[in-house]
Amino acid sequence: MGDKKLEDLLRVISLCASIQSSSANPFEVDIMEKLQVLKKHLPDWEFLDELLLDSEALYELAQIVKLQDLWLKQKATSLYIDPLLVQLKVKLLSRQALAESFVKSWHPIAQLDQLSPKGLEKAFVYWRDLRPFSERFKDQFGNYGARPGVVDYQDLVDLGIFTQEQFDSKMNVVYDELALTSKGEWVDYREFIESSEVEKKITRAYILAFLISDGMALVKTDPLTGKISIMPLPRRATGEAKSVAISVTEGT
Amino acid sequence: MEDAEKAEKAFLERKVRKAFQTLLLQRGRNPGVKGWELKRHLGRDYRKILEVLSGDVRALGLEVHEVKGVDGSDDASRFLLRFRDPPTMTEAETSGIRIDDLAVLASSIAYINSRQGRAGRRELEQFLKEKFPKWRVDYSIERYIKKGYLDQDEKSLLRIGWRTRAEIDERTLMTLLLSRGSEVATA
Repeated sequence: MGDKKLEDLLRVISLCASIQSSSANPFEVDIMEKLQVLKKHLPDWEFLDELLLDSEALYELAQIVKLQDLWLKQKATSLYIDPLLVQLKVKLLSRQALAESFVKSWHPIAQLDQLSPKGLEKAFVYWRDLRPFSERFKDQFGNYGARPGVVDYQDLVDLGIFTQEQFDSKMNVVYDELALTSKGEWVDYREFIESSEVEKKITRAYILAFLISDGMALVKTDPLTGKISIMPLPRRATGEAKSVAISVTEGT
Repeated sequence: MEDAEKAEKAFLERKVRKAFQTLLLQRGRNPGVKGWELKRHLGRDYRKILEVLSGDVRALGLEVHEVKGVDGSDDASRFLLRFRDPPTMTEAETSGIRIDDLAVLASSIAYINSRQGRAGRRELEQFLKEKFPKWRVDYSIERYIKKGYLDQDEKSLLRIGWRTRAEIDERTLMTLLLSRGSEVATA
Protein backbone atom coordinates (compact mmCIF):
# COMPACT_ATOMS: atom_id res chain seq x y z
CA MET A 1 0.00 0.00 0.00
CA GLY A 2 1.43 3.38 -0.98
CA ASP A 3 2.33 5.74 1.83
CA LYS A 4 0.47 8.55 0.12
CA LYS A 5 -2.80 6.58 0.07
CA LEU A 6 -2.39 5.57 3.68
CA GLU A 7 -1.76 9.18 4.60
CA ASP A 8 -4.98 10.19 2.88
CA LEU A 9 -6.94 7.77 5.05
CA LEU A 10 -5.23 8.84 8.25
CA ARG A 11 -5.83 12.48 7.38
CA VAL A 12 -9.59 11.86 6.98
CA ILE A 13 -9.72 10.06 10.33
CA SER A 14 -7.72 12.76 12.10
CA LEU A 15 -9.80 15.59 10.63
CA CYS A 16 -13.06 13.92 11.71
CA ALA A 17 -11.72 13.23 15.19
CA SER A 18 -10.62 16.84 15.66
CA ILE A 19 -14.03 18.16 14.56
CA GLN A 20 -15.79 15.77 16.95
CA SER A 21 -13.64 16.73 19.92
CA SER A 22 -14.17 20.46 19.50
CA SER A 23 -17.14 22.71 18.95
CA ALA A 24 -15.99 23.47 15.39
CA ASN A 25 -18.51 23.62 12.56
CA PRO A 26 -18.96 20.04 11.22
CA PHE A 27 -19.76 21.47 7.78
CA GLU A 28 -16.07 22.30 7.49
CA VAL A 29 -15.65 18.67 6.42
CA ASP A 30 -16.45 18.18 2.73
CA ILE A 31 -18.11 14.76 3.01
CA MET A 32 -18.44 14.23 -0.76
CA GLU A 33 -14.79 14.96 -1.39
CA LYS A 34 -13.65 12.64 1.40
CA LEU A 35 -15.92 9.85 0.15
CA GLN A 36 -14.41 10.25 -3.32
CA VAL A 37 -10.97 9.79 -1.78
CA LEU A 38 -12.08 6.60 -0.04
CA LYS A 39 -13.76 5.35 -3.23
CA LYS A 40 -10.65 6.03 -5.29
CA HIS A 41 -8.37 4.07 -2.96
CA LEU A 42 -10.74 1.19 -2.17
CA PRO A 43 -9.68 -1.14 -5.08
CA ASP A 44 -6.04 -0.84 -3.97
CA TRP A 45 -6.50 -2.20 -0.47
CA GLU A 46 -5.25 -5.77 -0.15
CA PHE A 47 -4.74 -6.49 3.52
CA LEU A 48 -7.15 -6.67 6.42
CA ASP A 49 -5.46 -3.76 8.24
CA GLU A 50 -5.98 -1.54 5.21
CA LEU A 51 -9.63 -2.46 4.94
CA LEU A 52 -10.13 -1.86 8.65
CA LEU A 53 -8.59 1.57 8.33
CA ASP A 54 -10.86 2.29 5.38
CA SER A 55 -13.96 1.27 7.36
CA GLU A 56 -12.80 3.40 10.30
CA ALA A 57 -12.54 6.42 8.01
CA LEU A 58 -16.04 5.70 6.72
CA TYR A 59 -17.37 5.42 10.28
CA GLU A 60 -15.79 8.74 11.25
CA LEU A 61 -17.39 10.41 8.21
CA ALA A 62 -20.76 8.98 9.28
CA GLN A 63 -20.24 10.56 12.71
CA ILE A 64 -19.63 13.92 11.05
CA VAL A 65 -22.88 13.57 9.07
CA LYS A 66 -24.66 12.91 12.38
CA LEU A 67 -23.10 16.07 13.85
CA GLN A 68 -24.16 18.06 10.79
CA ASP A 69 -27.73 16.86 11.36
CA LEU A 70 -27.66 18.01 15.01
CA TRP A 71 -26.04 21.30 13.98
CA LEU A 72 -28.83 22.05 11.51
CA LYS A 73 -31.56 21.10 13.98
CA GLN A 74 -30.08 23.37 16.65
CA LYS A 75 -29.67 26.21 14.18
CA ALA A 76 -33.29 25.81 13.04
CA THR A 77 -34.60 26.43 16.56
CA SER A 78 -34.91 29.92 17.96
CA LEU A 79 -32.24 28.95 20.52
CA TYR A 80 -29.58 29.70 17.95
CA ILE A 81 -27.99 33.08 18.44
CA ASP A 82 -24.68 34.30 17.14
CA PRO A 83 -22.02 33.12 19.63
CA LEU A 84 -20.29 36.49 19.62
CA LEU A 85 -23.55 38.26 20.44
CA VAL A 86 -24.18 35.90 23.36
CA GLN A 87 -20.65 36.40 24.69
CA LEU A 88 -21.05 40.14 24.48
CA LYS A 89 -24.43 40.08 26.22
CA VAL A 90 -23.18 37.88 29.05
CA LYS A 91 -20.13 40.12 29.54
CA LEU A 92 -22.28 43.24 29.66
CA LEU A 93 -24.95 41.92 32.00
CA SER A 94 -24.50 42.08 35.75
CA ARG A 95 -24.52 38.84 37.73
CA GLN A 96 -27.83 39.90 39.27
CA ALA A 97 -29.40 40.33 35.81
CA LEU A 98 -28.08 36.96 34.65
CA ALA A 99 -29.47 35.27 37.77
CA GLU A 100 -32.84 37.01 37.36
CA SER A 101 -33.12 35.87 33.74
CA PHE A 102 -32.39 32.35 34.88
CA VAL A 103 -34.95 32.39 37.69
CA LYS A 104 -37.66 33.76 35.39
CA SER A 105 -37.26 30.75 33.09
CA TRP A 106 -36.82 28.19 35.86
CA HIS A 107 -39.39 25.56 36.86
CA PRO A 108 -37.76 23.53 39.67
CA ILE A 109 -38.61 19.84 39.88
CA ALA A 110 -40.85 18.78 42.78
CA GLN A 111 -39.72 15.52 44.30
CA LEU A 112 -39.48 13.65 47.57
CA ASP A 113 -36.27 12.07 48.74
CA GLN A 114 -36.95 8.94 50.69
CA LEU A 115 -35.27 5.94 52.22
CA SER A 116 -35.69 2.83 50.15
CA PRO A 117 -34.92 -0.74 51.22
CA LYS A 118 -32.02 -0.67 48.75
CA GLY A 119 -30.68 2.59 50.23
CA LEU A 120 -30.97 1.18 53.75
CA GLU A 121 -29.09 -1.93 52.75
CA LYS A 122 -26.34 0.18 51.17
CA ALA A 123 -26.04 2.28 54.34
CA PHE A 124 -25.96 -0.83 56.53
CA VAL A 125 -23.19 -2.45 54.47
CA TYR A 126 -21.18 0.79 54.53
CA TRP A 127 -21.54 1.15 58.30
CA ARG A 128 -20.80 -2.53 58.93
CA ASP A 129 -17.59 -2.43 56.85
CA LEU A 130 -16.38 0.91 58.17
CA ARG A 131 -13.30 0.48 60.34
CA PRO A 132 -13.28 2.34 63.66
CA PHE A 133 -11.68 5.76 63.42
CA SER A 134 -8.86 4.76 65.77
CA GLU A 135 -7.84 1.96 63.40
CA ARG A 136 -8.37 3.69 60.09
CA PHE A 137 -4.99 5.47 59.80
CA LYS A 138 -3.00 2.99 61.89
CA ASP A 139 -1.11 1.71 58.83
CA GLN A 140 0.22 5.15 57.93
CA PHE A 141 0.69 6.75 61.35
CA GLY A 142 0.84 3.89 63.87
CA ASN A 143 -0.59 4.41 67.33
CA TYR A 144 1.24 7.64 68.05
CA GLY A 145 -0.53 9.96 65.65
CA ALA A 146 -1.49 13.32 67.10
CA ARG A 147 -5.07 14.55 66.91
CA PRO A 148 -5.77 17.48 64.57
CA GLY A 149 -4.90 20.76 66.22
CA VAL A 150 -3.82 24.33 65.61
CA VAL A 151 -0.31 25.10 64.40
CA ASP A 152 0.76 28.60 65.35
CA TYR A 153 3.65 30.66 64.12
CA GLN A 154 5.97 29.59 66.95
CA ASP A 155 5.35 25.92 66.11
CA LEU A 156 6.35 26.56 62.49
CA VAL A 157 9.54 28.29 63.64
CA ASP A 158 10.25 25.38 66.01
CA LEU A 159 9.69 22.90 63.20
CA GLY A 160 12.19 24.80 61.05
CA ILE A 161 9.63 25.66 58.35
CA PHE A 162 10.19 29.39 58.91
CA THR A 163 12.83 31.50 60.57
CA GLN A 164 11.84 34.85 62.09
CA GLU A 165 13.68 36.74 59.30
CA GLN A 166 12.16 34.66 56.51
CA PHE A 167 8.69 35.14 57.89
CA ASP A 168 9.07 38.90 58.27
CA SER A 169 10.40 39.27 54.77
CA LYS A 170 7.61 37.08 53.36
CA MET A 171 5.05 39.24 55.17
CA ASN A 172 6.60 42.33 53.60
CA VAL A 173 6.56 40.77 50.13
CA VAL A 174 2.89 39.80 50.40
CA TYR A 175 1.99 43.22 51.83
CA ASP A 176 3.78 45.02 48.96
CA GLU A 177 2.09 42.78 46.42
CA LEU A 178 -1.30 43.46 47.99
CA ALA A 179 -0.68 47.21 48.01
CA LEU A 180 0.36 47.09 44.34
CA THR A 181 -2.71 45.08 43.30
CA SER A 182 -5.12 47.06 45.43
CA LYS A 183 -4.19 50.70 44.68
CA GLY A 184 -6.64 51.72 47.38
CA GLU A 185 -9.45 49.42 46.17
CA TRP A 186 -10.86 46.16 47.58
CA VAL A 187 -9.23 43.05 46.10
CA ASP A 188 -10.88 39.62 45.74
CA TYR A 189 -9.33 37.41 48.44
CA ARG A 190 -9.59 34.16 46.46
CA GLU A 191 -8.04 35.68 43.37
CA PHE A 192 -5.21 37.16 45.43
CA ILE A 193 -4.18 33.90 47.09
CA GLU A 194 -4.68 31.85 43.91
CA SER A 195 -1.62 29.98 42.72
CA SER A 196 -0.96 27.00 40.48
CA GLU A 197 0.65 25.22 43.43
CA VAL A 198 -1.46 24.33 46.47
CA GLU A 199 1.46 24.81 48.88
CA LYS A 200 2.05 28.38 47.65
CA LYS A 201 -1.65 29.12 47.90
CA ILE A 202 -1.83 27.90 51.52
CA THR A 203 1.33 29.84 52.41
CA ARG A 204 -0.09 33.06 50.95
CA ALA A 205 -3.35 32.55 52.84
CA TYR A 206 -1.40 31.87 56.04
CA ILE A 207 0.79 34.97 55.72
CA LEU A 208 -2.22 37.06 54.77
CA ALA A 209 -3.98 35.90 57.94
CA PHE A 210 -1.06 37.31 59.95
CA LEU A 211 -1.19 40.62 58.07
CA ILE A 212 -4.92 40.91 58.78
CA SER A 213 -4.52 39.91 62.45
CA ASP A 214 -1.69 42.40 62.70
CA GLY A 215 -3.99 45.20 61.52
CA MET A 216 -2.09 45.77 58.28
CA ALA A 217 -5.03 44.76 56.08
CA LEU A 218 -8.82 44.79 56.25
CA VAL A 219 -11.13 41.93 55.30
CA LYS A 220 -14.85 42.02 54.48
CA THR A 221 -17.31 39.35 53.39
CA ASP A 222 -20.48 39.78 51.35
CA PRO A 223 -23.14 37.54 52.95
CA LEU A 224 -25.20 37.39 49.73
CA THR A 225 -22.50 36.32 47.29
CA GLY A 226 -19.99 34.90 49.77
CA LYS A 227 -17.29 37.04 48.19
CA ILE A 228 -14.35 37.86 50.46
CA SER A 229 -12.42 41.07 49.81
CA ILE A 230 -9.23 42.47 51.32
CA MET A 231 -7.55 45.85 51.34
CA PRO A 232 -4.10 46.86 52.65
CA LEU A 233 -3.83 49.69 55.18
CA PRO A 234 -1.07 52.30 55.05
CA ARG A 235 -0.66 52.12 58.83
CA ARG A 236 -1.61 49.58 61.47
CA ALA A 237 -5.33 49.73 62.35
CA THR A 238 -6.50 50.18 65.90
CA GLY A 239 -9.88 49.25 67.30
CA GLU A 240 -11.85 46.13 67.96
CA ALA A 241 -10.80 43.07 65.96
CA LYS A 242 -13.17 40.30 64.86
CA SER A 243 -12.42 36.73 63.87
CA VAL A 244 -13.32 35.53 60.38
CA ALA A 245 -12.96 31.86 59.49
CA ILE A 246 -12.00 31.30 55.85
CA SER A 247 -11.58 27.83 54.46
CA VAL A 248 -8.83 27.38 51.89
CA THR A 249 -8.63 24.09 50.07
CA GLU A 250 -7.32 22.83 46.78
CA GLY A 251 -9.28 24.37 43.97
CA THR A 252 -11.32 26.82 46.09
CA MET B 1 -75.88 3.48 34.90
CA GLU B 2 -75.07 5.73 37.83
CA ASP B 3 -73.18 2.92 39.54
CA ALA B 4 -71.08 2.38 36.44
CA GLU B 5 -70.22 6.07 36.30
CA LYS B 6 -69.32 6.09 39.97
CA ALA B 7 -67.14 3.05 39.57
CA GLU B 8 -65.40 4.61 36.60
CA LYS B 9 -64.81 7.85 38.51
CA ALA B 10 -63.43 5.96 41.50
CA PHE B 11 -61.18 3.99 39.18
CA LEU B 12 -59.84 7.16 37.58
CA GLU B 13 -59.26 8.79 40.97
CA ARG B 14 -57.31 5.76 42.10
CA LYS B 15 -55.16 5.88 38.98
CA VAL B 16 -54.52 9.61 39.34
CA ARG B 17 -53.50 9.12 42.97
CA LYS B 18 -51.15 6.34 41.95
CA ALA B 19 -49.69 8.51 39.17
CA PHE B 20 -49.07 11.34 41.67
CA GLN B 21 -47.28 9.04 44.09
CA THR B 22 -45.25 7.46 41.31
CA LEU B 23 -44.08 10.84 40.02
CA LEU B 24 -43.38 12.33 43.44
CA LEU B 25 -41.30 9.55 44.95
CA GLN B 26 -37.80 9.35 43.58
CA ARG B 27 -36.94 5.81 42.59
CA GLY B 28 -33.63 5.95 40.71
CA ARG B 29 -30.78 8.44 40.82
CA ASN B 30 -32.72 11.02 38.84
CA PRO B 31 -36.22 12.34 39.46
CA GLY B 32 -39.08 11.54 37.13
CA VAL B 33 -40.46 8.37 35.62
CA LYS B 34 -39.96 7.02 32.11
CA GLY B 35 -42.93 6.49 29.76
CA TRP B 36 -42.54 2.70 29.69
CA GLU B 37 -42.63 2.58 33.50
CA LEU B 38 -45.82 4.63 33.64
CA LYS B 39 -47.38 2.41 31.01
CA ARG B 40 -46.63 -0.59 33.24
CA HIS B 41 -47.98 1.11 36.38
CA LEU B 42 -50.99 2.95 34.97
CA GLY B 43 -51.87 1.18 31.72
CA ARG B 44 -51.90 2.25 28.08
CA ASP B 45 -53.90 5.42 28.76
CA TYR B 46 -51.29 6.84 31.10
CA ARG B 47 -51.07 10.10 29.14
CA LYS B 48 -54.76 10.83 29.78
CA ILE B 49 -54.28 10.10 33.48
CA LEU B 50 -51.28 12.44 33.56
CA GLU B 51 -53.39 15.16 31.91
CA VAL B 52 -56.01 14.83 34.67
CA LEU B 53 -53.26 14.86 37.31
CA SER B 54 -51.68 17.96 35.76
CA GLY B 55 -55.03 19.74 36.11
CA ASP B 56 -55.44 18.56 39.70
CA VAL B 57 -52.02 19.75 40.87
CA ARG B 58 -52.47 23.11 39.19
CA ALA B 59 -54.00 24.48 42.39
CA LEU B 60 -50.74 23.62 44.16
CA GLY B 61 -48.69 25.50 41.58
CA LEU B 62 -47.36 22.31 39.97
CA GLU B 63 -47.63 20.64 36.57
CA VAL B 64 -46.70 17.36 34.93
CA HIS B 65 -43.87 17.98 32.48
CA GLU B 66 -42.55 15.73 29.74
CA VAL B 67 -38.89 15.64 28.72
CA LYS B 68 -38.43 13.93 25.38
CA GLY B 69 -35.89 11.09 25.29
CA VAL B 70 -33.06 10.63 22.82
CA ASP B 71 -35.10 8.70 20.25
CA GLY B 72 -38.22 10.85 20.72
CA SER B 73 -40.42 7.84 21.52
CA ASP B 74 -43.13 7.84 24.22
CA ASP B 75 -41.38 5.07 26.12
CA ALA B 76 -38.13 7.05 26.37
CA SER B 77 -39.82 10.27 27.53
CA ARG B 78 -39.32 11.23 31.18
CA PHE B 79 -42.31 12.62 33.09
CA LEU B 80 -41.94 14.66 36.24
CA LEU B 81 -43.68 17.13 38.50
CA ARG B 82 -42.35 20.67 38.43
CA PHE B 83 -43.30 24.22 39.41
CA ARG B 84 -45.89 25.61 37.00
CA ASP B 85 -44.58 29.16 37.42
CA PRO B 86 -40.98 30.18 38.08
CA PRO B 87 -40.15 31.14 41.69
CA THR B 88 -39.44 34.75 42.55
CA MET B 89 -35.87 35.90 43.02
CA THR B 90 -36.44 36.12 46.78
CA GLU B 91 -37.79 32.56 46.90
CA ALA B 92 -34.79 31.30 44.94
CA GLU B 93 -32.41 33.09 47.29
CA THR B 94 -34.22 31.76 50.35
CA SER B 95 -33.64 28.21 49.13
CA GLY B 96 -29.92 28.81 49.66
CA ILE B 97 -28.86 29.23 46.03
CA ARG B 98 -26.26 31.92 45.42
CA ILE B 99 -26.80 34.58 42.77
CA ASP B 100 -23.32 33.93 41.38
CA ASP B 101 -24.07 30.22 40.94
CA LEU B 102 -27.26 30.99 39.01
CA ALA B 103 -25.39 33.53 36.90
CA VAL B 104 -22.71 30.95 36.03
CA LEU B 105 -25.37 28.42 35.02
CA ALA B 106 -27.32 30.96 32.94
CA SER B 107 -24.12 31.99 31.13
CA SER B 108 -23.12 28.35 30.53
CA ILE B 109 -26.50 27.42 29.03
CA ALA B 110 -26.51 30.51 26.82
CA TYR B 111 -22.96 29.84 25.64
CA ILE B 112 -23.57 26.15 24.85
CA ASN B 113 -26.82 26.93 23.01
CA SER B 114 -25.07 29.57 20.93
CA ARG B 115 -22.43 26.96 19.96
CA GLN B 116 -25.04 24.65 18.43
CA GLY B 117 -25.54 22.72 21.65
CA ARG B 118 -21.97 21.64 22.39
CA ALA B 119 -18.87 23.38 23.63
CA GLY B 120 -15.45 22.27 24.79
CA ARG B 121 -15.13 22.44 28.58
CA ARG B 122 -11.97 24.53 28.31
CA GLU B 123 -13.63 27.01 25.94
CA LEU B 124 -16.53 27.43 28.36
CA GLU B 125 -14.19 27.79 31.34
CA GLN B 126 -12.15 30.45 29.57
CA PHE B 127 -15.29 32.33 28.64
CA LEU B 128 -16.68 32.21 32.19
CA LYS B 129 -13.37 33.16 33.80
CA GLU B 130 -13.54 36.54 32.10
CA LYS B 131 -16.51 37.31 34.31
CA PHE B 132 -16.35 35.03 37.36
CA PRO B 133 -13.52 34.00 39.70
CA LYS B 134 -11.61 30.91 38.56
CA TRP B 135 -12.40 28.90 41.69
CA ARG B 136 -16.14 29.49 41.29
CA VAL B 137 -16.10 28.48 37.60
CA ASP B 138 -14.29 25.17 38.24
CA TYR B 139 -16.48 24.35 41.23
CA SER B 140 -19.76 25.33 39.56
CA ILE B 141 -19.23 23.44 36.29
CA GLU B 142 -18.36 20.27 38.17
CA ARG B 143 -21.45 20.66 40.37
CA TYR B 144 -23.78 21.32 37.45
CA ILE B 145 -22.50 18.23 35.64
CA LYS B 146 -23.20 16.14 38.75
CA LYS B 147 -26.69 17.62 39.10
CA GLY B 148 -27.53 16.96 35.45
CA TYR B 149 -27.77 20.57 34.25
CA LEU B 150 -24.77 19.99 31.97
CA ASP B 151 -23.62 16.81 30.33
CA GLN B 152 -19.96 16.02 29.66
CA ASP B 153 -18.78 13.29 27.29
CA GLU B 154 -15.48 11.41 27.23
CA LYS B 155 -13.99 14.07 24.92
CA SER B 156 -14.72 16.80 27.50
CA LEU B 157 -17.43 18.30 25.31
CA LEU B 158 -20.28 19.86 27.27
CA ARG B 159 -23.91 19.65 26.22
CA ILE B 160 -27.18 20.73 27.78
CA GLY B 161 -28.10 18.14 30.41
CA TRP B 162 -31.44 16.43 31.08
CA ARG B 163 -32.18 18.61 34.13
CA THR B 164 -31.86 21.80 32.10
CA ARG B 165 -34.31 20.35 29.57
CA ALA B 166 -36.64 19.48 32.46
CA GLU B 167 -36.42 22.68 34.49
CA ILE B 168 -35.41 25.53 32.22
CA ASP B 169 -37.48 27.15 29.51
CA GLU B 170 -34.42 27.71 27.34
CA ARG B 171 -36.23 29.84 24.81
CA THR B 172 -37.41 32.22 27.54
CA LEU B 173 -33.92 32.31 29.03
CA MET B 174 -32.28 33.25 25.73
CA THR B 175 -34.96 35.88 25.02
CA LEU B 176 -34.57 37.41 28.47
CA LEU B 177 -30.79 37.54 28.18
CA LEU B 178 -31.00 39.28 24.82
CA SER B 179 -33.72 41.70 25.85
CA ARG B 180 -31.68 42.80 28.86
CA GLY B 181 -28.95 43.99 26.55
CA SER B 182 -29.08 47.63 27.57
CA GLU B 183 -28.25 46.97 31.23
CA VAL B 184 -24.57 47.40 31.83
CA ALA B 185 -22.79 45.34 34.47
CA THR B 186 -22.23 47.08 37.75
CA ALA B 187 -21.17 44.08 39.83
